[in-house]
Amino acid sequence: MVTRGPDFDDLVDPEFNELARERLRRVHELLVTVEPLPELPSKLAPPRVPYSVRLAPQRRRGALLALAAAFGILALGLGLLLGDGGQSPRPDRVIVLKGTKQARGTTGSIALFDADAAGNWPLEITVNGLVPSAKGRPYQLWLMKRGKLAAFCGSFRAEADGSTVVPMNAPYKLREYGAWVVVRKGSKVPLLTT
Amino acid sequence: MRVVERRGPTDGELIQRIAGGDRPAFEELYGRYISAVLGLALRRLGDRGRAEDAAQDAFVAIWRSARTYDANRGTGAPWLYAVARNAITDGLRRSPEPTAEPQDSPSDEPDPADSADLAWTAWRVHRALQVLPEHERPMIELAYWNGLTQSEIADSLGIPLGTVKTRTRSALARLADALEDI
Repeated sequence: MVTRGPDFDDLVDPEFNELARERLRRVHELLVTVEPLPELPSKLAPPRVPYSVRLAPQRRRGALLALAAAFGILALGLGLLLGDGGQSPRPDRVIVLKGTKQARGTTGSIALFDADAAGNWPLEITVNGLVPSAKGRPYQLWLMKRGKLAAFCGSFRAEADGSTVVPMNAPYKLREYGAWVVVRKGSKVPLLTT
Repeated sequence: MRVVERRGPTDGELIQRIAGGDRPAFEELYGRYISAVLGLALRRLGDRGRAEDAAQDAFVAIWRSARTYDANRGTGAPWLYAVARNAITDGLRRSPEPTAEPQDSPSDEPDPADSADLAWTAWRVHRALQVLPEHERPMIELAYWNGLTQSEIADSLGIPLGTVKTRTRSALARLADALEDI
């Protein structure tokens, strides 16, 4: 038994009812074995605002992904997909991006909309926590195939606060690809990935 | 008599609502358990960054698995613990820890069974603490995790020492009720 924590006699006077004392002592001995809960980082803080994700109800898989992602996005503090009275297009699915070791703490998501008649997938990428861009558009979104960067979707910059929200387009058959990744221009090392 | 106050829906009721796609229920369950899940992940993985990722994965698993919860087979807490633990373990398999150098002497680490028992105990204790009245929970947290004596708690909260002692005893009694099966 770990011998830390307060002195039980300081908590419950020795004159207190003996049976009750023993019952409380058992709890005391449990408590001294338990570590305090960790502090929650802001990205895991419970959401504080009501939100809604508007999804086509017939798309079960998309809904699952989107709702799970919506949870992720809210937990990540990004606040994408807040309701707007149904005026905006509805994403078919939302894909959560996680920062790799090269960009720990960076978070993001891709809201993927229905493909148009020509097979192009409009999307909107949201990222927080990237190193702000001094000039140009140094970050790129790619689709991967067999572990390699295979299909370029667009480049973007990070604002002074490290965030970005950029519409793009993926003119590809998405089923043929695997993960989405964000890399620095000229690098193959993922900064964020699905 | 069970004296732990019941506040709002039970964990099991929330899981059943989540199975029906109820996002507010998910948010409530998330608020109740995110710290415990993160604690579990930290205990298992050690690394803070990986633990945070694993905690998120665990809640995605909870969302997706809610339909498998059967209230006839038990309360929500053990189900949540099992789903979270499995998700964290799955994450560990996908991203294994770096291989450690072989040790010449026996490890001081508890064996896996003891570790699992401690994790489950911690899970139960933290959940029981969460349902303590707001005026009682700080008595436990300050005494056990901040190292304050009863007098120091009284000073820091600006309440009489007798009140601190009464609240502490009351909190311990509620916890004893909630944890009597451990």
